[in-house]
Amino acid sequence: MAASPEPTTVLACEGICCHLPAEPRPVQVLHGISFSVSRRTSLGIVGESGAGKSMLIKTIMGLNPTARITGTVRLDGTDVASLAEKKRNAVIGRKVGIVFQNPMTSLNPFVRVGRQIEEHARYHLGLSRREAKERAIELLRVVGIADPEECYSFYPHHFSGGMKQRIMIATALACEPDLLIADEATTALDVTVQKEILDLLQVIQEERQMAMILVTHNLGIVAGRTDEVLVLYGGHVVEHGPTDRVFATPRHRYTAALLSAMPQLDQPAHTRLATIPGQPPNLANAPKGCPFAPRCPVATADCHETMPVMTVSADGRHRFACHFPVAAGAEAAP
Amino acid sequence: MSAGALPYLKAISTRLLAGIPVFILVTFAATALSSLAPGSAAQLILGENASSQQIAELNAAYGYDLPVWERYFKWLGGVVQGDFGRTLFSQQSVAKLLVDRAAVTFEIAFLAMFVSFIIAVPLALYTASHPGKLLDTVLRSIASVLLSVPTFVTVVLLAYIFAIVLRWLPATGWENFSDDPLANLWYVTLPVLCLAPHQTAYLYRVARGEFLATLQEDFVTVARAKGMPLSYILLRHVLRPSLPQVLTVLGLSMTYLLGGSFIVESYFAVPGIGWTILSAVNSHDFPVVQAILSLTVAIFVVIFILVDLGYTLIDPRVDVS
Amino acid sequence: MTGARSRKPAGKPVADPQSLSEAVAAARPRLSRLRLPGGTPVEAVCAAFLLLLVLLALFVDFIPGLASPNFPYGDFSQPPDLTLNGILGTDAIGRSILSRVLYGARTSISIVFFATLISLGFGLLFGMVAGFYRGSVERAVDLYANTMASLPPILVILALVASTGSSVFTITVALGILDIGTYARVAKGGVISQSNRDYILAARAMGASDARLLLKEILPNLVPALTAIVPTLMAGLIITEGSLSFLGYGIPAPAPSWGGMIASSTDLLSRYPLLIFGPVLAIVITVYALNTVGDYFARRLSSRERQG
Repeated sequence: MAASPEPTTVLACEGICCHLPAEPRPVQVLHGISFSVSRRTSLGIVGESGAGKSMLIKTIMGLNPTARITGTVRLDGTDVASLAEKKRNAVIGRKVGIVFQNPMTSLNPFVRVGRQIEEHARYHLGLSRREAKERAIELLRVVGIADPEECYSFYPHHFSGGMKQRIMIATALACEPDLLIADEATTALDVTVQKEILDLLQVIQEERQMAMILVTHNLGIVAGRTDEVLVLYGGHVVEHGPTDRVFATPRHRYTAALLSAMPQLDQPAHTRLATIPGQPPNLANAPKGCPFAPRCPVATADCHETMPVMTVSADGRHRFACHFPVAAGAEAAP
Repeated sequence: MSAGALPYLKAISTRLLAGIPVFILVTFAATALSSLAPGSAAQLILGENASSQQIAELNAAYGYDLPVWERYFKWLGGVVQGDFGRTLFSQQSVAKLLVDRAAVTFEIAFLAMFVSFIIAVPLALYTASHPGKLLDTVLRSIASVLLSVPTFVTVVLLAYIFAIVLRWLPATGWENFSDDPLANLWYVTLPVLCLAPHQTAYLYRVARGEFLATLQEDFVTVARAKGMPLSYILLRHVLRPSLPQVLTVLGLSMTYLLGGSFIVESYFAVPGIGWTILSAVNSHDFPVVQAILSLTVAIFVVIFILVDLGYTLIDPRVDVS
Repeated sequence: MTGARSRKPAGKPVADPQSLSEAVAAARPRLSRLRLPGGTPVEAVCAAFLLLLVLLALFVDFIPGLASPNFPYGDFSQPPDLTLNGILGTDAIGRSILSRVLYGARTSISIVFFATLISLGFGLLFGMVAGFYRGSVERAVDLYANTMASLPPILVILALVASTGSSVFTITVALGILDIGTYARVAKGGVISQSNRDYILAARAMGASDARLLLKEILPNLVPALTAIVPTLMAGLIITEGSLSFLGYGIPAPAPSWGGMIASSTDLLSRYPLLIFGPVLAIVITVYALNTVGDYFARRLSSRERQG
């Protein structure tokens, strides 16, 4: 095993590239993504639909069987990308808990929720039926389901959307994972329920000392809830740094535009960009230079032609890829 | 228990009621058609040399001289009392005759369905989870070819191979299961083999499509993310959610299977309802034709009651109502 | 492409990869160019086969040297040889099997074509009225479709043909009756889904008459869904017609029919097994081609619906 990352690092991704099969040639949807998350910290991954957030998560989880993937994904020091599929699934399923976007479709309507919460704990940890049931009931209680004993044997259609998402969180926790991923976990919920679920995730992450990744298109969700934020655009990392610093002094033109547009955050998402599966031509004919150049107010010919290199701040914690970053004046104050 | 059974009874009676118009349409149309038939039944029974007086007498005796409406209501009145009339020539009770004949057809049809289910569903489950792989491509091609081979061609070719060239199985004949189970198996094999390929291909196609759709569901992605092995995901999370649709198609394919069994029975001289209706059509034995049409409609209604009940067993979201 | 590349003679100097792949692409077999839009080569071949079959059936009288289908042309039960008329062999009374297969194609195709016209015409009429006015017409259409779905087609046809006697006309009409319900149901569904769309509401608001709405606005939008099911239902009709002839209730002898030819060659199967292949291949390939083209239409339709 190569130089092992520092002990508290749970997930370390290095240069992840992902090509999806397509006609006439494969489409690159991720371009050299690198980041890491440590125990007790949380990372926000922000981007519009089509930016590659879901692809990134699927790639990390090994849920992209048809894609061609390069780069390393280290989970607790193990390079999971290099493992055989069966082994990899077992390691990831055991160490990563994930909550997906749509709670209405994430639960199998034909299987009692108790079994759905506990099945991977029984499989990975070898719990007995009784131990698994105890754990599932306890988790239902943790995520705030009243009457957990009774709910254990209900089918999913007895629950509302918010309740289902709580059940999905309980499912994600069943193997006591080191990393919890919430992939747009609140997008499909009512605003009031969104806040409850986000608060629950935060409390659970802190109590259980996990690492957490919050994937969202909504900057407001990331603010104040995450330690670091990673901004994706067109499959590239355009900016990455401590959340408060990125919010106070964004350097990339895209992050800045996003922040200034925060009151009507939804607007740009519906105007120009396309999602990956729906309209691949945009990604297939990706610009040679900065992916944001076509929409950037200060783009020059150079921006369209050459890909900006990643600039790292003096303390090494803030990085961005922009030929003409927003004035660095404010950056002196850490 | 009786309180729990009540909604089921209600659901069943709804289906039964819905079947009544179909039943009336079919049987009335058959009555009307029979009066169009060239050469009256009386003529056929009495032969070419019958005098017109003899024919009129016989017509009056059987009610063939009545208008269509009256004949139909007379027949319907009998049916309500369980009387389907008597066969034209041997004067047997049609109802009793059909019970024996239907048992034969059902045995063949259900065995064919069973065999095709056992073969098609596991293959569909496996190939749907490995789409585009060699086995998937090969099986899909085989299925489309089998779907293009009419039953009468299958019958001829398999009879040639198994009965004439290999001499493994008898080309004609029948023995009832109750009389001699082993001989029954011996005679039933070739008819079932002839019905199975088309049914298997059809079921494979439908089931593969359903499994493929279920594999796209979010809850399958969740199960994969949980690191569950593929075999577990297929059996626990894919099979059952796909079954309701498969069941519906299975029910609908029953009419095809019946049609196929007509061909098979006529070719292998198996005394089922297909063989019976062919000889009845030949001899203008109207009561038999009418009873078989009624029976077919009834089978269809019963099958869909079973499909409905299957839904309630498979899908926890379906309430009986 | 890879196959063509690997067959490259080893002795030749290796061209640079760029131009080599271009050369291979230029020399690629024509088969890959023979495609329906968005279809596979197999689908294109099937469509071409159906076209050829229709042409052969239409112009079978003008094929030079083809023997009559109804009169002996040579010795009986001859195995296939390399002459035009003998290529599929001769039947029990010495008639050319090829000739009978081709004339049988003409019979089958014209029966199925006119039966489809009947069911498509009436299905469209009843379906559109049912979808537009709903009420009792809709219930009647549903009852009809349910009834036909609950009976094996061969049983319906047998009951009809037994009462009316079998001739080309009665068989065509009987086959036409089978699928009226299916077409009507598809048309009805199309009308119902169209009639709530904005353009219909707008046309209605502008005072368009019912007839105008149905014929000018709605009918063109039903065409894709209906054409998508035509080949598959036609394949079903070919099978039903063949079964009928096989059982001996089809077109009266001596007119050739595929089902009847298969039935008559079964008697000689143990001695002359090769003679069955002509009619068997004819019906199997025709049904396969129709099914394949039907699948192609259905796939195009569903991808269009997903986009629209």
